[in-house]
Amino acid sequence: MAPILEIRSVVKRFGGVAAVNGVSLALEPGRIYGLIGPNGSGKTTLFNCITGVDQADEGEILFKGRRIDGLKPHQIFHFGMGRTFQVIRVFPELTAVENLLVVTTTGYAEAQRRAQELLALVKLDRLAGEFAGNLSYGQQKLVEFIRVLMTDPEMILLDEPAAGVNRTLLNELLDAVRRLRDQGKTVLLVEHDMKVVMGLCETVFVLDHGEKLAEGAPGVIQADERVIEAYFGR
Amino acid sequence: MKRRFPVALAVLAAGLALYPLQATGYGIRVMLQLFMWIALAQSWNLISGLTGYVSFGHVVFFGTGAYASSILIVTLGWAWPLACLGGGVVAAGLAFVIGWPCLRLKGPYFAIATLGLNEVLRVVVSYYEGLTGGGNGLSLPTLYASVEIYYAMGLVAAAVTAVTYVIVTSRFGLRLMTIREDEVAAEAMGIDTLRYKLYAFLLSAAAPGIVGGLSARDQGYIEPLSVFPLIMTITMIVMALFGGKGTIWGPVLGAAVLFAFQEVVWARFIYLHQLLFGAIIVGVVLLMPRGILGVLQQKYNLPRTI
Repeated sequence: MAPILEIRSVVKRFGGVAAVNGVSLALEPGRIYGLIGPNGSGKTTLFNCITGVDQADEGEILFKGRRIDGLKPHQIFHFGMGRTFQVIRVFPELTAVENLLVVTTTGYAEAQRRAQELLALVKLDRLAGEFAGNLSYGQQKLVEFIRVLMTDPEMILLDEPAAGVNRTLLNELLDAVRRLRDQGKTVLLVEHDMKVVMGLCETVFVLDHGEKLAEGAPGVIQADERVIEAYFGR
Repeated sequence: MKRRFPVALAVLAAGLALYPLQATGYGIRVMLQLFMWIALAQSWNLISGLTGYVSFGHVVFFGTGAYASSILIVTLGWAWPLACLGGGVVAAGLAFVIGWPCLRLKGPYFAIATLGLNEVLRVVVSYYEGLTGGGNGLSLPTLYASVEIYYAMGLVAAAVTAVTYVIVTSRFGLRLMTIREDEVAAEAMGIDTLRYKLYAFLLSAAAPGIVGGLSARDQGYIEPLSVFPLIMTITMIVMALFGGKGTIWGPVLGAAVLFAFQEVVWARFIYLHQLLFGAIIVGVVLLMPRGILGVLQQKYNLPRTI
């Protein structure tokens, strides 16, 4: 099948450091992908290049067959790619429901219906009128997650969805991700929790020092000596 | 409460509409200035209170409006109401020209750019003597229209407040607030932040432009120093901060309280009043950065529509 997202030899430098150094990936629609690697291996930078927050210095990024490198984040979002952030970025002085409403382009009534539906999905409907900044860490994480879903994007990038979320909440989140996959959406997630990555992802990419070290099914990756070396040293 | 507020507002509006029948010339001039400050503080609130982009040169739109409408009156012979609207249009046009590059600057850099721009405009106006009279200023034909200008100022103040109400209660306003809350996230969530900031900036420049024209018409004489003073920017910022930036009624309240305070104290203590005004700035920033309504809003969980 034709890839929904294709990254070709992307390079991103910060000063003299190449945070991402010639990475190429191809993601097929309707699957869950994991992106792992030690701290500083370039995962978040690659996310930022894909979503337009950072501009790649070299290489091409194609989404649904169209070049998206060089576009602004809001343009890429409207092509159907949503993301969450490693550090929570809800709008703290907007209420939970307002956090969702600002994202949409549909009519107001339709937007409100969708927002209520999503809040109910993650059991936050009671807190719809609460300022997002007053919610707990886990609840804010959920708001950020469903905010991405407001426009029903075809591809979703999640930056460490499991960090700081308790087990019960996490299982609900993972179920939600699987349901999205079943609806035909493509998910790419950065995660440090190996249990999550191995249990959820169908294909895993490993980055190390800004380069792709390995790619394959979770079982294969776990047994890969180069990956073990990158994480634990020789 | 919900019913009573619009009624109180209507009574107040009616009172203010009938006021000139009773008032002295001095009283009308005082109220006219109050309306001017409400319009200015509220305009500043539109860009800075909502998007968090602090415009530190907002008086530039007042001065531009004053000069544009005066020139329209003096050289083209326009009627003053039309000329003042023209001043608003020119000010909004200037906001577009400045905003396009400067709204890409983040945080304090935008504030500094707008501050510098005000100084530049003042120099430019002083330099082009042929049109502006340079340092000698510009005199307008004599006209006694204080009452008409009183109504015009009141209308502008009410209009800016109404526009603020419409914006704050709409998704457009919420999107402006996302820029204040987290601009990176706003961009990533599909909001074209530059375009939204530009819209807010244009809106926030129009009223100061009109008000500048009305003020010029009222004074009958303008010069670069009188219509581009930095202290005016500071005053409108303090009024908005004092009442509560980002709220609908905060700038109105702040303008009313501080203007009344200024009138009372200024009349008695010429020098002390500046000292006290400075003390208020320090006090507000230190003790209640959210302003009166901001504090009340948070404490009693009031809706955004105050």
